[in-house]
Amino acid sequence: MSARIWHIAHLIGIITIMAFLLAPVILVFPISFSADAYVAWPPSAWSTRWYGELFRNEEMVQAFKNSMVLALIVTSLTLLIATPAAVALTRSVFPGREALISFFTAPLLLPSIVLGLAILIIFVGYGLVGSWPGVMIGHLVITLPYALRVLITGLSTLPANVEDAAGTLGANPFVVFRRVTLPLIVPALIASAALAFIVSFDEVVISLFIAGTQLKLLPVSLYHYVESRADPLVAAISALMVLGTLAIVLVVERAVGLRRAVAK
Amino acid sequence: MHLKVESLGKRYGIFPPSVTDLSFSLKHGELLGLLGPSGCGKTTTLRMISGLVSATSGKITVGGQDVTQLPTFRRNMGVMFQSYALFPHMTVAENVAFGLEMRKVPKDEIARRVASALALVHLEKVGERKPRQLSGGQQQRVALARALVIEPDILLLDEPLSNLDAKLRDNMRNEIRDIQQRLSITTVFVTHDQTEAMAICDRIVVMNGGKLEQMGTPREIYETPATPMVADFVGRINRLSGRWAGKDMVSLGESHIRVRNQGVEGNSVLVMVRPHRIRLVKHDQPEGATADNVVPGVLRQITYIGDTLQYAVEALGGIVLVDEATRFAASGHHPGDRVLLCWAAGDTLTFDMVTPQ
Amino acid sequence: MNDTPARGVEEKAGPGSSLLLTLLLPIIIVNIIAFVMPVANLAAMSFREAASTGSLSDVVSLKVWASLLEDSYYWSIAWRTIWLGVLITIITLILSYPIALFASRAERGRAVLIVLCISPLLLSAVVRTYGWMVILGEQGFLPALIRQVGFTPPRLINNEVGVVIGMTEILMPYMILSLLSGFGKLDVTLEQAAETLGANRFTVLRRIVLPLSLPGILLGSLLCFVLAVSSFITPKMLAGGRVALLATEIYDQAIVTLNWPLAACLSVLILTVFGAALLFYGQLTKIIE
Repeated sequence: MSARIWHIAHLIGIITIMAFLLAPVILVFPISFSADAYVAWPPSAWSTRWYGELFRNEEMVQAFKNSMVLALIVTSLTLLIATPAAVALTRSVFPGREALISFFTAPLLLPSIVLGLAILIIFVGYGLVGSWPGVMIGHLVITLPYALRVLITGLSTLPANVEDAAGTLGANPFVVFRRVTLPLIVPALIASAALAFIVSFDEVVISLFIAGTQLKLLPVSLYHYVESRADPLVAAISALMVLGTLAIVLVVERAVGLRRAVAK
Repeated sequence: MHLKVESLGKRYGIFPPSVTDLSFSLKHGELLGLLGPSGCGKTTTLRMISGLVSATSGKITVGGQDVTQLPTFRRNMGVMFQSYALFPHMTVAENVAFGLEMRKVPKDEIARRVASALALVHLEKVGERKPRQLSGGQQQRVALARALVIEPDILLLDEPLSNLDAKLRDNMRNEIRDIQQRLSITTVFVTHDQTEAMAICDRIVVMNGGKLEQMGTPREIYETPATPMVADFVGRINRLSGRWAGKDMVSLGESHIRVRNQGVEGNSVLVMVRPHRIRLVKHDQPEGATADNVVPGVLRQITYIGDTLQYAVEALGGIVLVDEATRFAASGHHPGDRVLLCWAAGDTLTFDMVTPQ
Repeated sequence: MNDTPARGVEEKAGPGSSLLLTLLLPIIIVNIIAFVMPVANLAAMSFREAASTGSLSDVVSLKVWASLLEDSYYWSIAWRTIWLGVLITIITLILSYPIALFASRAERGRAVLIVLCISPLLLSAVVRTYGWMVILGEQGFLPALIRQVGFTPPRLINNEVGVVIGMTEILMPYMILSLLSGFGKLDVTLEQAAETLGANRFTVLRRIVLPLSLPGILLGSLLCFVLAVSSFITPKMLAGGRVALLATEIYDQAIVTLNWPLAACLSVLILTVFGAALLFYGQLTKIIE
C-alpha cells in the first residue's frame, strides 16, 4: 500500500514542478484578458481591451513588423550560409576540421551581454548601430551555430552510399547535391529554419545593444515598456508570441514528420 | 582483355597499405570473384575500380582505355552496393531511371528501358513504390536493375548477397549469374563467402592482407591451392606439420606419409588433407584399408550434420577431421573406437615452410 | 565489414580545396566580423582609459583594471553574482533531477514530457521574465494566493528572492537536458540487478543512480552556473535595478555611463569566472573518473 501512496506523492511532486516550469508561460494568458489598467491578480473584470490597445500602439506594431522581417531575412541568410558550410564540413576531411567546427560554435559559448557589448563597440566605429545590415550580422552570428549543428547532424545521418551510388550512375557532384543530398536533408533544413527564425525573433540582449533607437525590435520594445509601465499590454503581446511559437512548432512537426516518413 | 588492373595499390596516410601490387585481368563477359577474409582489401579494390577511392599507385584499363584518373561519374560502370543505396526519396522507377537521366536519354526511351530492366529482375509491378515498401530481396533486385539499365562496360558487385538470409542468397546468386551470362557483361564480384564465389565465378582472385594470394578457376583454387591460406580459406582442411623424409615421404611424428610432391630431406613442411578425402575404417578390419596412407587413431567425437558425419580422430599427434557422407557411412562408429585413417598420396597437399609455423 | 580505416581518414570524393574555401568563406566572414574582431577589441578595450567626456584615449593603461580591483563595490558585485549563481544552480538541480529521472524512465508520453520541458526555451527571455513579474509582483498571482490563505505575502520581486526564483525556472530546461544526456548512459538493468541483490528503492537511488548520473549533474551544474552568472534580462527585470550584478553593471557602464573600458574589464571578469568554473568542472570530472 505504501508503494501506491509513494507513487501518487511522487506523481504530484512531478506535476507541481512541471507547473512551476510552465507557470509564467501559462499565466500571461489570463492576465492578457484583464480589464484592469495595471497587472493585478485576480483581475477585477475580463476584457479584450488590451488586445485592442496592442493594435493601436504604433510602436509595438512597427516593432513587430521589423522583428518579423528581420527574422525572415536572417533565416534565409542563415540557410544560405550554413548549408554550404555544413556540406563542406561533412564531405571533406582536412586537418583542423574539428577545430573549425568548434570555432563556429564558439559564439554560443559567450554570454550574450559580452557579445552584445563587443559587437556594439566595433559597430559604432563603422556606423552600423541601428542599421539593418548591422542587426542582421549581429543575429547571424548566433543563428549560424544552431543551424550548422542541425545541418551537420542531418548530413551525417544520410543513408549509406546513396551519394556514391548517384556518382556511379553518372551524376557529377553538383547534380548529386541537387538531386540526392538536398531532398534528403529537407527535414534538417526545415528544423534549422524554424530554429533560426525563433532565435532571431526572440533575441533581446544583442538587439538591445545594436538596434539603437531607430530600429525598433519587438523584444527590445517590450523590455523598455515593462521598465516604464505596469499595464497588461505586454501580457497580450506575450500571449500572442507564445501562440505564434506554438504554431511554428506544430507546422514544423507536421512538415518534418511527413518528410521523414517519405524519406525512409 | 576487357578489364585490366595493373600493380594497383592503396595507402591511407600512415596506415599500412590496404592493397599492394595487385594485378589481374578479365576477358569480356567474364565473372571474376574477389574472395578473402574481412580486411583483405577486396572492397577497397572494387572501390578503386569504380573510382570511389583513388588509387595510390597502379593502373586500371577498360577496353584499352586508361580510366585511372577518371572521376567516378565518367566511368560508365554499374555498381551494386552492399547496402543497396537506393534513393529513399524516389520511387523504384525513378531510381532505375536515374542513370539514364544522367545520360540524357529521351523520356520515352527511359520508360521503355526501365520497364525492361525491371522485367529482367522480375519486378514488373513495383515501379511506383518507394524502396522502404519493398523487402530486402526486392530492394536488392532494384539495385541490380539500376546498375544494369545503363548498359555499363563493367558490373561491380560489392557483397550483394550478405544482407540476405541463406535461402534467398542461393536463389539470388543463381539469378545474378544467369543475368550476367545472358547479358554477357564483364563482372567483378566481391564476397567473403567461398561457396558463393565457387558456385558462380568463372575465375577467383583470393586476396589476403592486401595482396593477391592466388588467381584461378574454382577448381584450381580448391584442388591446387597455391598457399596454405588459400587451402584453408576455401573449404575445410586438416593442417599437419612435419619434415621431409625421403623422396615423396613426409614424417609426421611417428608415421611416414606418402605425398604427391617432393622436397628437400629434413626441411619443415606443412601437410594438408581435405577431411572428405579421408576414409575411416574400423581398426579390426584392415583389409578395407587399401590406400597409400594408413594411419591408426582413436575416434574422439562424432557430429551429425544431416547429410554429413564429421569425425574428430586423435591421430598423428593431433586431431584429424574426417567427413563422411551419411549415406556412405559404415555402420556404427562410436567415440573411443580404434580406427584407421586412409587416404591417397595424390590428395595430400604440401607447402614448404621457410619459417616454422 | 570494411577494410578501410575509420571514416575520418578515408578520403571521400568531396569538394576540392578551392571549392571548400568558397563554401566556408561566408560563415568565416560572419564570424570574423561579429565574433573574433569584437571580442579581441573588447579585451584590448579593457586596457584603455575613458575620459569623463566619454571619449577614449589611445594610451595603453592598466588604470581601469587598477580602479576595478581596488574598489570594494565591484568586489561585492562579483561576490554577489557568484553566490547567487551557486544558489540558483543548487536549487535548479534539486528541482530538475526528479523531472529528468522521471522522463528518462517513462515509456509512454516521454517525448511529450521532454518537449514540454524544453518548450520554454523557444520563448524570448523578456516574455518568460514578464511572466514571472506577473506571478511574483506585489499585485501578482502568488501574493494573491498567499493572501487568500490568510498570510501576509513576503516581498517576492525587486529583490534577490525574485531573481533566484525566476532564474531557477528559466534555467531548468538546460539542467533537465544535461541531466537527461547523463541518464542516457544509465542502464535500467543495473537498477534491476541491485534490486535482486536486496537493495530497496532509496538505496538503489543513493548507491546506483546518483553516482552514475554524476557526469550529467556536473555538466548541468556547469551550464546553469555559467548562464546564471552572465544572465542580464531576467535579473534586471526581476530586481528592478535594486540588485547589482556583473551583467547589469556591464550594461549600465556601457550604455548609461559610456565607460566602455570599465564595461570591458567587467566582461573580462565574467569570462574569468567562466574559466574558473570550467577548470573546477574539469577537476571534478577527473576525480569521478
